[in-house]
Amino acid sequence: MQCLSNDGTEVGRHTETTPGRNEVELNGQPPTARPPQVLTDSEEDEDEELTLKYGAKHVIMLFIPVTLCMVVVVATIKSVSFYTQKDGQQLIYTPFREDTETVGQRALNSMLNAAIMISVIVVMTLVLVVLYKYRCYKVIQGWLFFSNLLLLFFFSFIYLGEVFKTYNVAMDYFTLAVIIWNFGVVGMICIHWKGPLRLQQAYLIMISALMALVFIKYLPEWTAWLILAAISVYDLLAVLCPKGPLRILVETAQERNEPIFPALIYSSTMVWLFNMADSAEPRNNSSHPVPQQENQDAVAPTAQPEDDGGFTPAWVNQQQHQLGPMQSTEDSRREIQELPSARPPPVEDEEERGVKLGLGDFIFYSMLVGKASATASGDWNTTIACFVAILIGLCLTLLLLAIFKKALPALPISITFGLVFYFATDNLVRPFMDQLAVHQFYI
Amino acid sequence: MDLSSVFFIGNIMNLERIPNEEKLSLCRRYYLGGFAFLPFLWLVNVLWFFREAFLKPTYTEQLQIKSYVKKSALGLIVWVAVLTTWITIFQHFRAQWGEVGDYLSFTIPLGTA
Repeated sequence: MQCLSNDGTEVGRHTETTPGRNEVELNGQPPTARPPQVLTDSEEDEDEELTLKYGAKHVIMLFIPVTLCMVVVVATIKSVSFYTQKDGQQLIYTPFREDTETVGQRALNSMLNAAIMISVIVVMTLVLVVLYKYRCYKVIQGWLFFSNLLLLFFFSFIYLGEVFKTYNVAMDYFTLAVIIWNFGVVGMICIHWKGPLRLQQAYLIMISALMALVFIKYLPEWTAWLILAAISVYDLLAVLCPKGPLRILVETAQERNEPIFPALIYSSTMVWLFNMADSAEPRNNSSHPVPQQENQDAVAPTAQPEDDGGFTPAWVNQQQHQLGPMQSTEDSRREIQELPSARPPPVEDEEERGVKLGLGDFIFYSMLVGKASATASGDWNTTIACFVAILIGLCLTLLLLAIFKKALPALPISITFGLVFYFATDNLVRPFMDQLAVHQFYI
Repeated sequence: MDLSSVFFIGNIMNLERIPNEEKLSLCRRYYLGGFAFLPFLWLVNVLWFFREAFLKPTYTEQLQIKSYVKKSALGLIVWVAVLTTWITIFQHFRAQWGEVGDYLSFTIPLGTA
Protein backbone atom coordinates (compact mmCIF):
# COMPACT_ATOMS: atom_id res chain seq x y z
CA MET A 1 0.00 0.00 0.00
CA GLN A 2 2.75 2.33 0.76
CA CYS A 3 5.13 0.87 -1.71
CA LEU A 4 5.43 2.99 -4.75
CA SER A 5 3.83 5.89 -3.05
CA ASN A 6 5.81 8.95 -3.12
CA ASP A 7 6.36 9.48 0.49
CA GLY A 8 9.31 11.29 1.67
CA THR A 9 11.41 11.64 4.61
CA GLU A 10 9.95 13.88 7.04
CA VAL A 11 11.65 15.09 9.97
CA GLY A 12 10.46 17.28 12.62
CA ARG A 13 11.78 17.45 15.97
CA HIS A 14 11.06 19.25 18.96
CA THR A 15 11.41 18.74 22.52
CA GLU A 16 8.59 19.02 24.84
CA THR A 17 9.01 19.93 28.33
CA THR A 18 6.77 19.87 31.23
CA PRO A 19 6.13 23.19 32.74
CA GLY A 20 6.94 23.40 36.33
CA ARG A 21 4.38 23.61 38.95
CA ASN A 22 4.53 27.30 39.13
CA GLU A 23 4.24 28.00 35.46
CA VAL A 24 1.56 29.34 33.28
CA GLU A 25 -0.61 27.05 31.30
CA LEU A 26 0.59 25.64 28.10
CA ASN A 27 -0.30 27.22 24.86
CA GLY A 28 -3.77 26.83 23.69
CA GLN A 29 -5.01 25.32 26.83
CA PRO A 30 -7.33 27.36 28.96
CA PRO A 31 -6.31 27.39 32.55
CA THR A 32 -8.13 24.74 34.37
CA ALA A 33 -8.92 24.74 37.97
CA ARG A 34 -5.74 24.21 39.81
CA PRO A 35 -5.47 22.86 43.23
CA PRO A 36 -4.26 25.54 45.54
CA GLN A 37 -0.52 25.50 45.52
CA VAL A 38 1.35 27.37 48.04
CA LEU A 39 4.94 27.72 47.13
CA THR A 40 7.29 29.68 49.17
CA ASP A 41 10.42 31.18 47.78
CA SER A 42 12.62 28.54 49.24
CA GLU A 43 10.48 25.86 47.68
CA GLU A 44 10.85 27.52 44.34
CA ASP A 45 14.59 27.63 44.70
CA GLU A 46 14.65 24.03 45.66
CA ASP A 47 12.54 23.28 42.68
CA GLU A 48 14.99 25.04 40.41
CA GLU A 49 17.86 23.19 41.91
CA LEU A 50 16.18 19.89 41.56
CA THR A 51 15.26 20.79 38.02
CA LEU A 52 18.82 21.45 37.10
CA LYS A 53 20.05 18.44 38.92
CA TYR A 54 17.65 16.17 37.16
CA GLY A 55 18.37 17.95 33.94
CA ALA A 56 22.03 17.14 34.31
CA LYS A 57 21.27 13.53 35.04
CA HIS A 58 19.15 13.30 31.95
CA VAL A 59 21.84 14.79 29.80
CA ILE A 60 24.08 11.95 30.86
CA MET A 61 21.30 9.49 30.28
CA LEU A 62 21.01 10.65 26.73
CA PHE A 63 24.72 10.68 26.06
CA ILE A 64 24.96 6.95 26.30
CA PRO A 65 22.44 5.92 23.65
CA VAL A 66 23.52 8.67 21.27
CA THR A 67 27.13 7.57 21.67
CA LEU A 68 26.21 3.93 21.22
CA CYS A 69 24.34 4.65 18.04
CA MET A 70 27.24 6.61 16.64
CA VAL A 71 29.69 3.92 17.65
CA VAL A 72 27.65 1.29 15.84
CA VAL A 73 27.46 3.42 12.71
CA VAL A 74 31.15 4.31 12.70
CA ALA A 75 32.19 0.72 13.41
CA THR A 76 30.07 -0.50 10.54
CA ILE A 77 31.35 2.14 8.17
CA LYS A 78 34.93 1.34 9.01
CA SER A 79 34.62 -2.39 8.68
CA VAL A 80 31.89 -3.14 6.16
CA SER A 81 32.85 -1.52 2.92
CA PHE A 82 29.38 -1.97 1.46
CA TYR A 83 28.12 1.18 3.09
CA THR A 84 30.78 3.39 1.63
CA GLN A 85 30.63 1.96 -1.86
CA LYS A 86 28.73 4.10 -4.25
CA ASP A 87 26.92 1.68 -6.49
CA GLY A 88 25.44 4.46 -8.47
CA GLN A 89 22.05 3.83 -6.98
CA GLN A 90 20.30 6.64 -5.35
CA LEU A 91 17.05 7.11 -3.56
CA ILE A 92 14.20 8.21 -5.70
CA TYR A 93 13.97 11.37 -3.67
CA THR A 94 17.34 12.48 -4.91
CA PRO A 95 17.10 11.99 -8.62
CA PHE A 96 19.86 14.31 -9.70
CA ARG A 97 23.26 12.83 -10.02
CA GLU A 98 26.38 14.41 -8.70
CA ASP A 99 28.92 13.00 -11.09
CA THR A 100 28.62 15.94 -13.41
CA GLU A 101 31.29 17.72 -15.33
CA THR A 102 31.32 21.11 -13.77
CA VAL A 103 31.31 22.12 -10.18
CA GLY A 104 28.46 24.51 -10.79
CA GLN A 105 26.33 21.74 -12.21
CA ARG A 106 27.10 19.57 -9.24
CA ALA A 107 26.19 22.32 -6.84
CA LEU A 108 22.94 22.89 -8.64
CA ASN A 109 22.07 19.21 -8.68
CA SER A 110 22.76 18.75 -5.03
CA MET A 111 20.69 21.79 -4.13
CA LEU A 112 17.81 20.45 -6.16
CA ASN A 113 18.14 17.07 -4.49
CA ALA A 114 18.09 18.63 -1.07
CA ALA A 115 15.13 20.78 -2.01
CA ILE A 116 13.17 17.77 -3.17
CA MET A 117 13.98 15.82 -0.06
CA ILE A 118 13.05 18.65 2.23
CA SER A 119 9.79 19.30 0.48
CA VAL A 120 8.94 15.64 0.74
CA ILE A 121 9.62 15.88 4.44
CA VAL A 122 7.48 18.97 4.78
CA VAL A 123 4.65 17.24 2.99
CA MET A 124 4.93 14.24 5.23
CA THR A 125 4.86 16.41 8.32
CA LEU A 126 1.75 18.13 7.09
CA VAL A 127 0.12 14.81 6.30
CA LEU A 128 0.93 13.71 9.80
CA VAL A 129 -0.59 16.83 11.29
CA VAL A 130 -3.72 16.41 9.23
CA LEU A 131 -4.03 12.76 10.12
CA TYR A 132 -3.60 13.56 13.74
CA LYS A 133 -6.07 16.41 13.67
CA TYR A 134 -8.70 14.25 12.14
CA ARG A 135 -8.02 11.48 14.55
CA CYS A 136 -6.91 8.90 12.01
CA TYR A 137 -4.86 7.19 14.63
CA LYS A 138 -5.10 3.79 13.07
CA VAL A 139 -3.50 5.01 9.90
CA ILE A 140 -0.57 6.46 11.77
CA GLN A 141 -0.13 3.39 13.88
CA GLY A 142 -0.28 1.14 10.89
CA TRP A 143 2.26 3.29 9.14
CA LEU A 144 4.67 3.12 12.02
CA PHE A 145 4.15 -0.59 12.37
CA PHE A 146 4.82 -1.18 8.72
CA SER A 147 7.93 0.93 8.61
CA ASN A 148 9.33 -0.77 11.67
CA LEU A 149 8.64 -4.08 10.03
CA LEU A 150 10.63 -2.97 7.04
CA LEU A 151 13.54 -1.80 9.12
CA LEU A 152 13.69 -4.75 11.41
CA PHE A 153 13.48 -7.38 8.74
CA PHE A 154 14.64 -6.12 5.40
CA PHE A 155 17.36 -3.69 6.34
CA SER A 156 18.79 -5.92 9.00
CA PHE A 157 18.81 -8.78 6.51
CA ILE A 158 20.93 -6.71 4.16
CA TYR A 159 23.14 -5.56 7.00
CA LEU A 160 23.72 -9.08 8.23
CA GLY A 161 24.50 -10.27 4.73
CA GLU A 162 27.09 -7.58 4.25
CA VAL A 163 28.69 -8.24 7.62
CA PHE A 164 29.00 -11.93 6.78
CA LYS A 165 30.51 -11.12 3.44
CA THR A 166 33.01 -8.80 5.04
CA TYR A 167 34.17 -11.38 7.52
CA ASN A 168 34.07 -14.17 4.98
CA VAL A 169 31.75 -16.33 6.97
CA ALA A 170 29.58 -19.01 5.45
CA MET A 171 25.98 -18.85 6.45
CA ASP A 172 23.14 -21.09 5.48
CA TYR A 173 19.63 -19.99 4.85
CA PHE A 174 18.14 -21.90 7.72
CA THR A 175 20.23 -20.30 10.44
CA LEU A 176 19.88 -16.95 8.77
CA ALA A 177 16.12 -17.28 8.70
CA VAL A 178 16.05 -18.15 12.38
CA ILE A 179 18.24 -15.19 13.26
CA ILE A 180 16.34 -12.63 11.23
CA TRP A 181 12.98 -13.96 12.30
CA ASN A 182 13.90 -13.83 15.97
CA PHE A 183 15.51 -10.44 15.74
CA GLY A 184 12.59 -8.95 13.89
CA VAL A 185 9.72 -10.42 15.87
CA VAL A 186 11.23 -9.74 19.27
CA GLY A 187 11.99 -6.22 18.08
CA MET A 188 8.41 -5.62 17.02
CA ILE A 189 7.18 -6.99 20.33
CA CYS A 190 9.51 -4.82 22.36
CA ILE A 191 8.83 -1.66 20.48
CA HIS A 192 5.14 -1.92 19.81
CA TRP A 193 3.94 -3.94 22.71
CA LYS A 194 5.60 -4.63 26.02
CA GLY A 195 9.09 -5.58 26.72
CA PRO A 196 12.03 -4.90 28.94
CA LEU A 197 13.15 -1.33 28.68
CA ARG A 198 16.81 -2.07 28.03
CA LEU A 199 15.93 -4.31 25.15
CA GLN A 200 13.61 -1.72 23.69
CA GLN A 201 16.30 0.93 23.95
CA ALA A 202 18.78 -1.39 22.29
CA TYR A 203 16.40 -2.04 19.42
CA LEU A 204 15.70 1.64 18.92
CA ILE A 205 19.41 2.32 18.78
CA MET A 206 19.88 -0.45 16.25
CA ILE A 207 17.15 0.71 13.94
CA SER A 208 18.38 4.27 14.10
CA ALA A 209 21.83 3.05 13.18
CA LEU A 210 20.41 1.04 10.28
CA MET A 211 18.55 4.05 8.98
CA ALA A 212 21.62 6.25 9.27
CA LEU A 213 23.62 3.67 7.32
CA VAL A 214 21.02 3.65 4.56
CA PHE A 215 21.25 7.41 4.32
CA ILE A 216 25.01 7.36 4.26
CA LYS A 217 25.05 4.84 1.48
CA TYR A 218 22.39 6.23 -0.76
CA LEU A 219 22.77 9.97 -0.47
CA PRO A 220 25.46 11.54 -2.62
CA GLU A 221 28.06 13.74 -0.97
CA TRP A 222 27.00 17.30 -1.29
CA THR A 223 23.35 16.38 -1.11
CA ALA A 224 23.87 14.77 2.25
CA TRP A 225 25.49 17.81 3.79
CA LEU A 226 22.92 20.14 2.33
CA ILE A 227 20.13 17.95 3.63
CA LEU A 228 21.59 17.99 7.10
CA ALA A 229 21.75 21.76 7.09
CA ALA A 230 18.29 22.13 5.62
CA ILE A 231 16.74 19.68 8.06
CA SER A 232 18.08 21.67 10.97
CA VAL A 233 16.58 24.84 9.62
CA TYR A 234 13.30 23.14 8.97
CA ASP A 235 13.28 21.66 12.43
CA LEU A 236 13.83 25.07 13.91
CA LEU A 237 11.02 26.59 11.93
CA ALA A 238 8.57 23.78 12.33
CA VAL A 239 8.87 23.72 16.07
CA LEU A 240 9.22 27.34 16.99
CA CYS A 241 7.08 29.23 14.51
CA PRO A 242 3.51 29.72 15.61
CA LYS A 243 2.19 28.13 12.45
CA GLY A 244 4.76 25.40 12.31
CA PRO A 245 3.25 21.98 11.76
CA LEU A 246 4.96 20.42 14.70
CA ARG A 247 3.86 23.14 16.98
CA ILE A 248 0.30 22.72 15.81
CA LEU A 249 0.61 19.04 16.48
CA VAL A 250 1.80 19.65 19.99
CA GLU A 251 -0.94 22.10 20.71
CA THR A 252 -3.58 19.79 19.35
CA ALA A 253 -2.31 17.02 21.54
CA GLN A 254 -2.36 19.30 24.52
CA GLU A 255 -5.86 20.48 23.78
CA ARG A 256 -7.06 16.95 23.63
CA ASN A 257 -5.17 16.08 26.74
CA GLU A 258 -4.19 12.82 25.34
CA PRO A 259 -0.97 10.98 24.97
CA ILE A 260 0.32 10.83 21.47
CA PHE A 261 -0.11 7.69 19.46
CA PRO A 262 2.72 5.22 19.32
CA ALA A 263 5.67 7.31 19.03
CA LEU A 264 9.02 6.02 18.30
CA ILE A 265 11.00 7.73 20.88
CA TYR A 266 13.87 6.66 22.91
CA SER A 267 13.09 6.94 26.55
CA SER A 268 15.35 6.50 29.45
CA THR A 269 12.70 5.53 31.93
CA MET A 270 9.10 4.67 31.92
CA VAL A 271 6.45 6.70 33.42
CA TRP A 272 3.37 5.86 35.32
CA LEU A 273 0.14 7.60 34.98
CA PHE A 274 -1.68 7.79 38.19
CA ASN A 275 -5.13 8.84 38.88
CA MET A 276 -5.35 9.50 42.50
CA ALA A 277 -8.83 9.94 43.68
CA ASP A 278 -8.26 12.04 46.68
CA SER A 279 -5.03 13.66 45.78
CA ALA A 280 -5.03 17.27 44.87
CA GLU A 281 -2.66 16.97 42.00
CA PRO A 282 -2.96 14.19 39.58
CA ARG A 283 0.44 13.53 38.30
CA ASN A 284 0.49 12.59 34.73
CA ASN A 285 3.41 11.90 32.64
CA SER A 286 2.76 10.31 29.41
CA SER A 287 6.19 9.72 28.22
CA HIS A 288 5.32 6.64 26.29
CA PRO A 289 1.98 6.75 24.70
CA VAL A 290 0.77 3.26 24.55
CA PRO A 291 0.49 1.93 21.05
CA GLN A 292 -2.72 0.12 21.38
CA GLN A 293 -4.50 1.18 24.43
CA GLU A 294 -7.31 -1.16 23.75
CA ASN A 295 -4.96 -4.05 24.16
CA GLN A 296 -4.19 -3.23 27.70
CA ASP A 297 -6.29 -5.85 29.33
CA ALA A 298 -5.53 -5.24 32.91
CA VAL A 299 -5.47 -1.56 32.53
CA ALA A 300 -8.13 0.99 33.10
CA PRO A 301 -8.89 2.48 29.75
CA THR A 302 -10.07 5.81 30.94
CA ALA A 303 -7.78 8.70 30.49
CA GLN A 304 -8.14 11.26 33.13
CA PRO A 305 -7.73 14.80 32.08
CA GLU A 306 -4.48 16.17 33.18
CA ASP A 307 -4.99 19.47 34.69
CA ASP A 308 -1.76 20.48 36.11
CA GLY A 309 1.72 21.15 34.96
CA GLY A 310 2.62 17.53 35.15
CA PHE A 311 1.14 16.92 31.77
CA THR A 312 3.74 16.12 29.25
CA PRO A 313 2.57 15.20 25.86
CA ALA A 314 4.89 12.77 24.32
CA TRP A 315 5.61 14.33 21.11
CA VAL A 316 7.41 13.03 18.26
CA ASN A 317 7.81 13.71 14.67
CA GLN A 318 7.92 11.00 12.26
CA GLN A 319 10.46 10.45 9.76
CA GLN A 320 10.17 8.39 6.81
CA HIS A 321 12.88 6.56 5.18
CA GLN A 322 12.81 5.35 1.77
CA LEU A 323 13.88 2.23 0.15
CA GLY A 324 16.16 3.10 -2.64
CA PRO A 325 17.31 -0.12 -4.22
CA MET A 326 13.91 -1.58 -4.64
CA GLN A 327 12.68 1.28 -6.71
CA SER A 328 9.78 1.44 -4.40
CA THR A 329 9.42 3.68 -1.51
CA GLU A 330 8.36 2.57 1.81
CA ASP A 331 8.42 5.11 4.46
CA SER A 332 8.65 4.88 8.05
CA ARG A 333 8.21 7.61 10.36
CA ARG A 334 9.99 8.36 13.40
CA GLU A 335 8.60 10.64 15.87
CA ILE A 336 10.81 12.44 18.10
CA GLN A 337 10.31 13.84 21.32
CA GLU A 338 12.51 15.22 23.80
CA LEU A 339 11.09 15.48 27.14
CA PRO A 340 13.10 16.33 30.12
CA SER A 341 11.73 15.50 33.41
CA ALA A 342 11.81 18.80 35.13
CA ARG A 343 10.19 17.65 38.28
CA PRO A 344 11.46 15.58 41.08
CA PRO A 345 9.29 12.62 41.92
CA PRO A 346 6.75 14.17 44.23
CA VAL A 347 5.30 11.14 45.90
CA GLU A 348 6.78 7.79 46.55
CA ASP A 349 4.56 6.09 44.04
CA GLU A 350 5.53 8.01 41.03
CA GLU A 351 8.24 7.07 38.67
CA GLU A 352 10.67 9.68 37.74
CA ARG A 353 10.10 10.93 34.32
CA GLY A 354 12.73 10.03 31.91
CA VAL A 355 14.19 11.98 29.10
CA LYS A 356 13.14 11.20 25.66
CA LEU A 357 14.81 11.90 22.43
CA GLY A 358 13.35 11.24 19.08
CA LEU A 359 14.72 8.63 16.78
CA GLY A 360 15.12 11.09 13.95
CA ASP A 361 17.67 12.92 16.05
CA PHE A 362 19.60 9.72 16.56
CA ILE A 363 19.51 9.05 12.88
CA PHE A 364 20.80 12.43 11.80
CA TYR A 365 23.45 12.65 14.46
CA SER A 366 24.75 9.24 13.51
CA MET A 367 24.55 10.09 9.86
CA LEU A 368 26.72 13.13 10.38
CA VAL A 369 29.35 11.25 12.34
CA GLY A 370 29.18 8.31 9.95
CA LYS A 371 29.77 10.51 6.94
CA ALA A 372 32.62 12.19 8.75
CA SER A 373 34.30 8.85 9.33
CA ALA A 374 33.57 7.67 5.81
CA THR A 375 34.67 10.55 3.70
CA ALA A 376 36.80 12.88 5.71
CA SER A 377 40.40 13.19 4.82
CA GLY A 378 41.18 13.85 8.44
CA ASP A 379 39.59 10.56 9.34
CA TRP A 380 39.61 9.92 13.07
CA ASN A 381 40.38 13.52 13.93
CA THR A 382 37.32 14.67 12.12
CA THR A 383 35.15 11.85 13.40
CA ILE A 384 35.96 12.55 16.99
CA ALA A 385 35.60 16.28 16.50
CA CYS A 386 32.12 15.81 15.07
CA PHE A 387 31.21 13.44 17.85
CA VAL A 388 32.23 15.95 20.50
CA ALA A 389 30.45 18.73 18.66
CA ILE A 390 27.19 16.82 18.60
CA LEU A 391 27.36 15.99 22.26
CA ILE A 392 28.05 19.61 23.13
CA GLY A 393 25.08 20.62 21.02
CA LEU A 394 22.92 18.09 22.82
CA CYS A 395 23.98 19.46 26.18
CA LEU A 396 23.16 22.96 25.13
CA THR A 397 19.81 21.92 23.78
CA LEU A 398 18.88 20.22 27.00
CA LEU A 399 20.06 23.20 28.95
CA LEU A 400 17.87 25.48 26.90
CA LEU A 401 15.05 23.05 27.42
CA ALA A 402 15.45 23.26 31.16
CA ILE A 403 15.48 27.03 30.96
CA PHE A 404 12.69 27.65 28.54
CA LYS A 405 10.47 24.74 29.39
CA LYS A 406 8.86 24.54 26.04
CA ALA A 407 9.14 22.53 22.92
CA LEU A 408 12.52 22.88 21.35
CA PRO A 409 14.03 21.36 18.26
CA ALA A 410 16.84 18.99 19.03
CA LEU A 411 18.65 19.16 15.73
CA PRO A 412 19.77 22.68 14.95
CA ILE A 413 22.40 23.32 17.55
CA SER A 414 24.04 19.91 17.33
CA ILE A 415 24.00 19.71 13.57
CA THR A 416 25.35 23.22 13.23
CA PHE A 417 28.22 22.48 15.54
CA GLY A 418 28.79 19.17 13.83
CA LEU A 419 28.92 20.72 10.38
CA VAL A 420 31.18 23.54 11.50
CA PHE A 421 33.55 21.15 13.20
CA TYR A 422 33.55 18.80 10.24
CA PHE A 423 34.47 21.36 7.65
CA ALA A 424 36.84 23.19 9.94
CA THR A 425 38.67 20.07 11.04
CA ASP A 426 38.85 18.65 7.59
CA ASN A 427 40.09 21.75 5.93
CA LEU A 428 42.03 23.54 8.62
CA VAL A 429 43.10 21.26 11.39
CA ARG A 430 44.11 18.28 9.36
CA PRO A 431 46.51 20.01 7.02
CA PHE A 432 47.92 21.78 10.04
CA MET A 433 48.55 18.49 11.82
CA ASP A 434 50.02 17.00 8.69
CA GLN A 435 52.46 19.85 8.29
CA LEU A 436 53.45 19.56 11.92
CA ALA A 437 54.06 15.87 11.47
CA VAL A 438 56.08 16.44 8.33
CA HIS A 439 58.30 18.88 10.09
CA GLN A 440 58.41 16.77 13.24
CA PHE A 441 57.20 19.64 15.31
CA TYR A 442 55.26 18.49 18.33
CA ILE A 443 52.97 20.75 20.15
CA MET B 1 -3.25 8.32 49.12
CA ASP B 2 -5.62 6.14 47.35
CA LEU B 3 -4.93 4.83 43.92
CA SER B 4 -8.21 4.62 42.19
CA SER B 5 -6.82 3.57 38.91
CA VAL B 6 -3.40 3.07 37.62
CA PHE B 7 -2.46 2.68 34.11
CA PHE B 8 0.86 2.59 32.54
CA ILE B 9 1.52 3.85 29.19
CA GLY B 10 4.07 2.26 27.06
CA ASN B 11 6.48 -0.48 27.64
CA ILE B 12 7.41 -2.07 30.85
CA MET B 13 10.68 -1.36 32.38
CA ASN B 14 10.02 -1.95 35.94
CA LEU B 15 8.31 -5.15 36.79
CA GLU B 16 7.85 -3.90 40.31
CA ARG B 17 5.13 -1.61 39.30
CA ILE B 18 2.70 -3.87 37.62
CA PRO B 19 0.30 -6.10 39.45
CA ASN B 20 1.09 -9.76 39.79
CA GLU B 21 -1.62 -10.95 37.48
CA GLU B 22 -0.16 -8.77 34.79
CA LYS B 23 3.25 -10.24 35.35
CA LEU B 24 1.88 -13.73 35.07
CA SER B 25 0.00 -12.90 31.94
CA LEU B 26 3.06 -11.33 30.39
CA CYS B 27 5.26 -14.27 31.30
CA ARG B 28 2.72 -16.66 29.89
CA ARG B 29 2.42 -14.74 26.65
CA TYR B 30 6.15 -14.64 26.18
CA TYR B 31 6.29 -18.36 26.85
CA LEU B 32 3.56 -19.16 24.37
CA GLY B 33 5.02 -16.80 21.81
CA GLY B 34 8.30 -18.63 21.89
CA PHE B 35 6.71 -21.62 20.22
CA ALA B 36 6.63 -19.71 16.97
CA PHE B 37 10.28 -20.54 16.36
CA LEU B 38 11.36 -17.79 18.71
CA PRO B 39 14.03 -19.02 21.11
CA PHE B 40 15.11 -15.41 21.54
CA LEU B 41 11.75 -14.68 23.07
CA TRP B 42 12.29 -17.50 25.51
CA LEU B 43 15.68 -16.09 26.35
CA VAL B 44 14.17 -12.69 27.05
CA ASN B 45 11.51 -14.35 29.14
CA VAL B 46 14.06 -16.18 31.25
CA LEU B 47 16.27 -13.18 31.78
CA TRP B 48 13.49 -10.78 32.48
CA PHE B 49 11.47 -12.89 34.86
CA PHE B 50 14.34 -14.66 36.54
CA ARG B 51 14.45 -12.28 39.43
CA GLU B 52 10.70 -12.31 39.76
CA ALA B 53 10.50 -16.04 39.82
CA PHE B 54 13.41 -17.01 41.99
CA LEU B 55 14.74 -14.15 43.97
CA LYS B 56 11.62 -12.54 45.26
CA PRO B 57 9.59 -13.39 48.31
CA THR B 58 6.73 -15.67 47.48
CA TYR B 59 3.44 -14.43 46.22
CA THR B 60 0.51 -16.23 44.76
CA GLU B 61 1.40 -16.17 41.11
CA GLN B 62 5.05 -16.81 41.64
CA LEU B 63 4.72 -20.55 41.34
CA GLN B 64 3.23 -20.31 37.90
CA ILE B 65 5.76 -17.72 36.80
CA LYS B 66 8.49 -20.07 37.99
CA SER B 67 7.09 -22.87 35.92
CA TYR B 68 6.91 -20.69 32.82
CA VAL B 69 10.46 -19.51 33.30
CA LYS B 70 11.66 -23.08 33.70
CA LYS B 71 9.80 -24.25 30.64
CA SER B 72 11.15 -21.34 28.63
CA ALA B 73 14.66 -22.19 29.75
CA LEU B 74 14.13 -25.77 28.73
CA GLY B 75 12.88 -24.79 25.31
CA LEU B 76 15.78 -22.44 24.92
CA ILE B 77 18.30 -25.16 25.72
CA VAL B 78 16.70 -27.48 23.19
CA TRP B 79 16.86 -24.80 20.49
CA VAL B 80 20.46 -23.95 21.27
CA ALA B 81 21.40 -27.62 21.04
CA VAL B 82 19.64 -28.06 17.72
CA LEU B 83 21.11 -24.91 16.23
CA THR B 84 24.62 -25.67 17.42
CA THR B 85 24.45 -29.14 15.96
CA TRP B 86 23.17 -27.88 12.64
CA ILE B 87 25.71 -25.09 12.42
CA THR B 88 28.57 -27.41 13.24
CA ILE B 89 27.45 -29.90 10.63
CA PHE B 90 26.95 -27.21 8.06
CA GLN B 91 30.26 -25.45 8.58
CA HIS B 92 32.17 -28.68 8.61
CA PHE B 93 30.62 -30.38 5.63
CA ARG B 94 29.62 -27.45 3.50
CA ALA B 95 32.52 -27.68 1.14
CA GLN B 96 32.10 -31.43 0.72
CA TRP B 97 28.47 -31.22 -0.14
CA GLY B 98 29.19 -29.49 -3.38
CA GLU B 99 26.12 -28.23 -5.05
CA VAL B 100 23.78 -28.80 -2.17
CA GLY B 101 26.12 -26.86 0.06
CA ASP B 102 26.09 -23.91 -2.26
CA TYR B 103 22.37 -24.04 -2.56
CA LEU B 104 21.99 -23.87 1.19
CA SER B 105 24.46 -21.06 1.57
CA PHE B 106 23.52 -17.49 1.92
CA THR B 107 27.07 -16.27 1.79
CA ILE B 108 29.94 -18.27 0.49
CA PRO B 109 33.37 -17.42 1.78
CA LEU B 110 35.93 -16.58 -0.82
CA GLY B 111 39.23 -18.25 -1.18
CA THR B 112 38.45 -21.59 0.37
CA ALA B 113 37.88 -24.85 -1.39
